[in-house]
Amino acid sequence: MVKNSLFSWIAMVLSSLVLLFIVAPLAGMFLHTGAAELLETAEDKEVIRSVWLTLWVSFAATLTFAVGAVPLAWVLARKSFPLKKIVQGIIDLPVVLPHTAAGIAILGFISRDGLLGKAAASAGITLINSPAGIALAMAFVSLPFLINSARDGFAAVPERLEKAALTLGAVRSRVFFTISLPLAWRSIVTGFIMMFARGMSEFGAVVIVAYHPMIAPVLIYERFTSFGLKYARPASVFFIIVALAFFVILRLISMGPKKAEISRDAEA
Amino acid sequence: MLKLERISKQLGSFLLSEIDLDIPGGEYFVLLGRSGSGKSQLLELIAGLSDPDSGKIWLDGEDITCRKIQERQVGLVFQDYAVFPNMTVASNIAYSLESRGFSRKNIKELVAGISGELNITGILDRTVTNLSGGELQRVALARTLVTSPKLLLLDEPMASIDASLKDDVRNSLRQLNRKGLTIVHVTHDYREAISLATMVGVIHNGRLVQTGSPHEVFSSPVNKFVARYAGIRNFFRADFFSEGGKWKARCNGNMIFSISGSDYPSNGLLIIKSDEIKIHDSVPLYPGENCIRGLVREINPSEFGVEITVDAGENFYIDVTRNEFRMLNIKESSEAWITFDPASPKFLSGS
Repeated sequence: MVKNSLFSWIAMVLSSLVLLFIVAPLAGMFLHTGAAELLETAEDKEVIRSVWLTLWVSFAATLTFAVGAVPLAWVLARKSFPLKKIVQGIIDLPVVLPHTAAGIAILGFISRDGLLGKAAASAGITLINSPAGIALAMAFVSLPFLINSARDGFAAVPERLEKAALTLGAVRSRVFFTISLPLAWRSIVTGFIMMFARGMSEFGAVVIVAYHPMIAPVLIYERFTSFGLKYARPASVFFIIVALAFFVILRLISMGPKKAEISRDAEA
Repeated sequence: MLKLERISKQLGSFLLSEIDLDIPGGEYFVLLGRSGSGKSQLLELIAGLSDPDSGKIWLDGEDITCRKIQERQVGLVFQDYAVFPNMTVASNIAYSLESRGFSRKNIKELVAGISGELNITGILDRTVTNLSGGELQRVALARTLVTSPKLLLLDEPMASIDASLKDDVRNSLRQLNRKGLTIVHVTHDYREAISLATMVGVIHNGRLVQTGSPHEVFSSPVNKFVARYAGIRNFFRADFFSEGGKWKARCNGNMIFSISGSDYPSNGLLIIKSDEIKIHDSVPLYPGENCIRGLVREINPSEFGVEITVDAGENFYIDVTRNEFRMLNIKESSEAWITFDPASPKFLSGS
């Protein structure tokens, strides 16, 4: 057996500290929340409404924006065009922006004076303080996760396979739907889950666009500022449990049967 | 059948330059070149995966330069086959038929037919991720041949299969060609060309430097690059002069030998095939016009038996069979005499 070097020991100690830093606050929160409190929260209609709103709005935002984000990811992976690096930078921009600033930007865009807000108002739709507005705020800050993951997935599909499909008489759209998309599927689903999870946990951008209806992060904040830590904690634990359950279910679905993997032969 | 007319294509800093080629129907054309010489790019241009910057591509008298890739009737089998890993063998073969709108009944019949011909009926329901190299190649061939292309393009088809399977693949390809299918096969291995080609071309740095029958190309290479591809290792830069009506070559200052032919320039490059040089362990009884004494530098096993390197002012590489070698009393550093006919040295006109 190879003995661990001093460096390995130091690395392990530092790793443990970082893991502890992530696990300790969460564990503390769970340990400070009694089963009775949790059950009471699970029956609180306001909490249930808020968690459900958070889940479906984030899911709907992810699904809707995937329609454009997946083709964009393919374009980024396969096409060369002028200013491509700038386009890539623009896509990553929401990740580095302060989320409250992102919320202000979205608010300007969807308010009655904004471009999208005006169009929506003319159709009789109000975006501010509505699930649609929340979805836009969530999508704004979480889209890079889907686009980047899907782009990496498309880039990992050997171009040779797409070329082979073309020589076999397939038109470009058929190549996309029968070769590129199935082979990049795992990365796309991973990006989908990341975008969904990120959207679900968004507070800063959403709170500016829509304080009401209240999504779970806003509800937790509201309970904390109005009633204090003791009241905010059970709602937080309940939301984390539901969100984790969703995350695990989606992960399990995405793993599925292991048949669409790119073989080493095909990659060569 | 296939005609390329002054095809040029700039690919980054690499230029595929003014390629002219005429391949009659039914030929097995092997395009030889090192990696990066432009041979795969040329195949992609013929298949329609990229467009030439200039020039024309004709297939059966029709200009297909601007024709859509899907309508060219050209099949391309990639190096490493590019079979679709998310499909079964049967779906891979059916892919081109589905793309072209064949009926389900037709697809079933055609898939059964081609898989029978290529002996892959037993693996039709398998996914392709755990097939052997030979099986993958047959699937790739079946998938390409099932729509009966006019022209089959093969990119390094032997590069990824075991040596033990190469004979089978060669036989399959020969049979396809004998049935009348025109094949363009690119490779870096001249032995593939010798064993399969009815026509050979050599491409170097994006230029097609020589085409012809295998005999023409390998016995009369136009330059040192082609000669190297033909497996020739004896190259001599020489000054030529005429003496008593006979032409002589002087190499390395003092080694002189006779050469047949006439009207040589003042200097140039000569080649001699390794199997046209004889080696002796003592002064030969009938030395002929060219008998040179030297020292044995190296004795190495070779594909054909043994390769002996003799230093006679210049290195000569001589191939002998194992039996011939056993009869010779030579070892490294011993003296040896080499003889060759004056007709053996060939002048490289492009040198």
